[in-house]
Amino acid sequence: MGKKYSKPKDQHRSSFNPDDTLEGETINITPRHSPVQDGRSTASRPLYPKSKSKAFHFRRASKKATAKTMDIYRQEISTNDHKLSLEELEFKYRTSLTEGLPRELAARMLVKYGRNELEAVATRSMFLVFLNYMFGGFAAILWGSLALSVIAFSINYTIHPDQLDEMYLSIVLFVILVGTGVFGFIQEYKNSKLIDSFKKMVPKTATVIRGGVLSNVSVEEIVPGDLIRLEGGDVVPADLRIIESHSLKVDNSSITGESEPQTRCVNATDDNPLETGNLAFFSTNVIEGGGKGIVIATGQATLIGHIATLTSGLAPESTPMKQEVKRFIKFITIYAICVSSLVTILGLSMGKEGFEMFIYFIGLLVANIPEALLVTITACLTLMAKRMSNKNCMVRNMHAVETLGQTNVICSDKTGTLTQNRMTVSHMYYDNNIFDVLSPTYVNGTTYNYLYLCRCAILCSRATFKEAQRTIPVMQRAVLGDASETAVLKCMELLTRNTKKTRKEFPKIFEIPFNSANKYQLSIHKRPNDDYLLLVLKGAPERVIDRCSSVMIEEHELPLLDSERKRLVNILMELGYMGERVLAFADLKLPSEYTADYEFSDMINFPVTGLRFVGFMSLIDPPRPGVREAVAKCKRAGISVVMVTGDHPVTAMSIARKVGIISPENDTVQDIAKRRKISVSQVIPQEVQACKACVIPGYDMRKMTAGELDEIVQRYEELVFARTSPQQKLQIVEAYQKTGKIVAVTGDGVNDSPALKKADIGIAMGICGSDVSKDAADLVLLDDNFASIVMGIEEGRIIYDNLKKSIAYILTSNIPEVVPFVIYLMLGTPRIITVIAVLILDVGTDLWPGISLAYEPAESDIMDRPPRDPKFDNLVGMKLILFCYLNIGTLQTFGSLASYFFTMAEYGFLWDRLINIQDEWYSESNAIYDSYNVEWTHEDRMTLERMGVSAYFLALVVTQISDCLISKTRRLSLAQHGFTNGVMIKGLLFEVLLSAFVVYCPYINVKLGFHPVNCYVVMCPVLPFAVLIFIYDEIRKYIIRQNPDGWFYRNTYY
Amino acid sequence: MTASPKFSKKGHRWGYNKEDGTYYGRDKRSWAKISLFYMVFYGMLAALVAICMWVFFQTLDPRIPKWQMEGSIIGTNPGLGFRPMPTDDNAESTLIWFEGSNKTNYVKWVDNLMGYLDKYYTPGKTEKGTASIRRCSYTHPPQRGQVCDFDVRLWEECSPDKFFNYHRNAPCIFLKLNRIYGWIPQFYNDPNDLPEEMPDQLKQHIRSVKPEERDTIWISCEGENPADIEYLGPIRYFPKVQGFPGYYYPFENTEGYLSPLVAVQFERPLAGIVINIECKAWAKNVKHSRADRTGSVHFELLID
Repeated sequence: MGKKYSKPKDQHRSSFNPDDTLEGETINITPRHSPVQDGRSTASRPLYPKSKSKAFHFRRASKKATAKTMDIYRQEISTNDHKLSLEELEFKYRTSLTEGLPRELAARMLVKYGRNELEAVATRSMFLVFLNYMFGGFAAILWGSLALSVIAFSINYTIHPDQLDEMYLSIVLFVILVGTGVFGFIQEYKNSKLIDSFKKMVPKTATVIRGGVLSNVSVEEIVPGDLIRLEGGDVVPADLRIIESHSLKVDNSSITGESEPQTRCVNATDDNPLETGNLAFFSTNVIEGGGKGIVIATGQATLIGHIATLTSGLAPESTPMKQEVKRFIKFITIYAICVSSLVTILGLSMGKEGFEMFIYFIGLLVANIPEALLVTITACLTLMAKRMSNKNCMVRNMHAVETLGQTNVICSDKTGTLTQNRMTVSHMYYDNNIFDVLSPTYVNGTTYNYLYLCRCAILCSRATFKEAQRTIPVMQRAVLGDASETAVLKCMELLTRNTKKTRKEFPKIFEIPFNSANKYQLSIHKRPNDDYLLLVLKGAPERVIDRCSSVMIEEHELPLLDSERKRLVNILMELGYMGERVLAFADLKLPSEYTADYEFSDMINFPVTGLRFVGFMSLIDPPRPGVREAVAKCKRAGISVVMVTGDHPVTAMSIARKVGIISPENDTVQDIAKRRKISVSQVIPQEVQACKACVIPGYDMRKMTAGELDEIVQRYEELVFARTSPQQKLQIVEAYQKTGKIVAVTGDGVNDSPALKKADIGIAMGICGSDVSKDAADLVLLDDNFASIVMGIEEGRIIYDNLKKSIAYILTSNIPEVVPFVIYLMLGTPRIITVIAVLILDVGTDLWPGISLAYEPAESDIMDRPPRDPKFDNLVGMKLILFCYLNIGTLQTFGSLASYFFTMAEYGFLWDRLINIQDEWYSESNAIYDSYNVEWTHEDRMTLERMGVSAYFLALVVTQISDCLISKTRRLSLAQHGFTNGVMIKGLLFEVLLSAFVVYCPYINVKLGFHPVNCYVVMCPVLPFAVLIFIYDEIRKYIIRQNPDGWFYRNTYY
Repeated sequence: MTASPKFSKKGHRWGYNKEDGTYYGRDKRSWAKISLFYMVFYGMLAALVAICMWVFFQTLDPRIPKWQMEGSIIGTNPGLGFRPMPTDDNAESTLIWFEGSNKTNYVKWVDNLMGYLDKYYTPGKTEKGTASIRRCSYTHPPQRGQVCDFDVRLWEECSPDKFFNYHRNAPCIFLKLNRIYGWIPQFYNDPNDLPEEMPDQLKQHIRSVKPEERDTIWISCEGENPADIEYLGPIRYFPKVQGFPGYYYPFENTEGYLSPLVAVQFERPLAGIVINIECKAWAKNVKHSRADRTGSVHFELLID
């Protein structure tokens, strides 16, 4: 991996110097923001210090080697190329602004800098992943068992070629191992196409000027210094400094997430390369206009290359679930080996034969391991993922579902996620009042003031509805025009219902569209019957007010006095403080010398002052419906919602307040400053200390050290990050993770993908998100709705609870599987259970019911409790194991043993005869007498043994059904919980049918070591125990409910 | 609650903890509580198991098996067995391999036989004398509740006093039919209606036997191959009526019941070679199956 990372190092743009790079080899890179970066690369959370295996440590260590190179990509890209003059640029890249690079130099540069393409950063080899699924986890110990069993078979085969027990066992083990391995691998395989989508974004050819000749060059061959010509519809082929622009507009949405096209110009408009208007980035689209640019970076050195490298290089945090499972596997493996070895050694010391104990050891090992557990977990998660997909939440990484349930922090985007990403008129000012138009109680005005405002808003607009949309609700109609005009038009159509008629009534004679110099837009209209022309104007409020000399208030036009002006400015501030974009409207009856025949011109040969002010409209991107409730739900569930947005702090805070991210009772420093009418810096430190909410703009964050950020993240309950850059988003995520939080992050742009990858849960937006962000994410919200995340969290918590139930169900049967082996050894009985029977139970009958527990509905409102603390609440805790093994497992064992002994007694061997019968039983003797002195041939004894095994097996299945029923709930009575889980009914039916099949199907049953047995004889003894299990657990749960902190809760509630 | 059990919460803190005085995460009181719980829990469970088993065993008769004849696993075709059993260290072998010249060697086989025949030489010993034992004959079959003794003198040559002739390389092998509750043999008692495959020697023997003594399950032993027959040499059967007398049947688990035995003496088997021998029991309702080892039995003889 190191080799791959070293390459972009050479290409790094921040220290580009043609002389150095062409002649010398070494380039020294000094991170510009090194204080901020300190310690970030090793930001791993020491949550599970004890669960790390040696292999884990090893991987960590090798990762460290690349951490330094990774750091380079962590920084915000830094280049000065946008600040260079064109001459300097020309000199630096040895190019010509007219002729481009000489061909010969271009060829040399290509050799030097490599092809202009994104490299696949070494990902985990698929083969290794496959091996991991094949041999990792329980598979290792099962392969061990398989090897032992093959050895046993080959030894035994040389002596008794007719005994094939071990062969069947080997085959069954092999099938199980390959089956589970392939199953897991397939799930993982789907997850591995990240870099591919980066490649998809790369354009094919570009128009390049080299040596003064215009030619089409394959994008891969573009080198720094190349002169590129851009036209509408092109894809930018590398990072460019614009040197010529003809209203060039690019769509940067794939990089920054901003959906509005950005105008590109020649001169730097900002120090920040991301913000400046004279850079165009690799893979973005040219929307309109044209221009030329000099290539300043290619391939991995481009902005998108940085992000791609950073994203692929970031190790996603191992999910808490995976860690839990790892821990649990370790525990069970050690436990199984210890128990098996101990009992085997005991057997050997009792003078048992070596070979016999060898086979016995395999049996114990297999019986102690819940083979199907991992498959069950995978299946449960897959099912949950499917269920979530039906609720607009596509799951790309199954383990994420459960992680979502533990989320403490959601770092959410604003635009599109919390808000509708649709500018809407929210307030109107007229009649001396601010009206909330979106409020359901809003009533239309009736005054002239209101009518004039509406008229002005309808006329002074270039936006129109597309044709043939009468039947569509206004808000959904397609509009030609920019976002704010669209918003005004829709609002007017909603309020007046006659925009079209009004426009017809006042035909437009002349207009001046909005431009950034005037900051207003005006148009002139003539109503046929009127003897005057009407000028309507809208624009930036300050500019508009300046041009006004009168004001419309209710029915009257009054002169605009200074006091009135001041009032308007206050209104303006108030609207501005709500984070809304304000438009002011004014109109004017033009003097009579201006008639329809007058030649109006752009040079403004008509009065644009002395206007009549008619009102304000303020626009906002309103919160999505349901988000407020979702945020409230999150807070109730102990999850903090943090807004991370590129928007202005004021807008961000306003939305944060609207959706409840900042609760009404919590003040920010800005609130205090506003109340006191002082500036933020004047607020006294004590008050700053008392603030529980905070808005942190990106420019402030840039000045902080990593430590300060960590502190802030811990100190404030409610945080809004505004004006943040992608790298800062990553920093925020890491800061939260450092404090031990489980972080979910939403994002849509390419720039978000590192943060998405780094987060415990990356959530991408399905509608407006870029492919890259979707690939880096664990979840994709198909409806871009924040509320869906909350639904996901709920599902995650349910699945966690249900997985516990599944595991409890599956683990319980270990005891009745192991105890017969011990009895066989200690009491010298015939075999009570066989290894194959154990495998059929674990991987056959238990499988479906175990999975069906994933479908259980939640027992209580799981969103009313805080996220689980991984330090205290483990998936498989000691309580769960003890309860399964010592309580339910024991009950099952007794019940099944009752069935076994009773069956044997029915056929003549009372239990006292069975004790220590082993030597005779397996001898060649053809006449072993039973309790009735009847003599049994070897063949008959083996048949009876198979019947005994069948009886034990069937009885165990019956108790497992009981176990499945009690596992449905952890606290509620089954009567309260109900039996709505249809899958479980199917699962239990399957369990019954499969067990009946293996025991009663001719031929198959002999191969598997079973023999048909009288069902009645099996059921009679075990049914009381099955009922007892049920009753015992109901009593236990009743006590837990009555005494929620009592002994039973503390000792048996898992 | 002063001390709360921290079993799962601090699962890693094993052993004694001085600070809060806990052993394996629990203090003494907590240990006492959980021990008490499991004692009561398992105690009640054990009681329940006992009650359960007692109830179920009430459904079983202590002397009459529930499943008999066709309903049972062993069915109606009795297994044929031989004694002495090859020794334990070679448990699955059917080879009787001894040295007539080596006393310690053949005494093992004799002891093996005697271990089995003990109850024939000291009848009633195992049944504590409560059994009603009498001498039976073909004309005097036992009454219900009575059992027949077995006259060991009928084995003549094959007696422990003569080391069952192992020392003379003319070993006696004892054959017996497995006991099947309620099984009544259907005898080949008509000399004119004997199966084809019955050895001629046996056919002749049946014809020579008194008609009332023909209610017998006949026994025949032969070398498996012509070579084996040659190596095996002459065979003698004890008692004189070559088989199990019919009056021992049916077996009804009466106290003191002894299975009838036939001693087969191979008078001059060839030494130094493994001889395959197959013995068969003959009755109309005995089928011969080597795989199930019912109705017939196979063993090998090797004399050094």
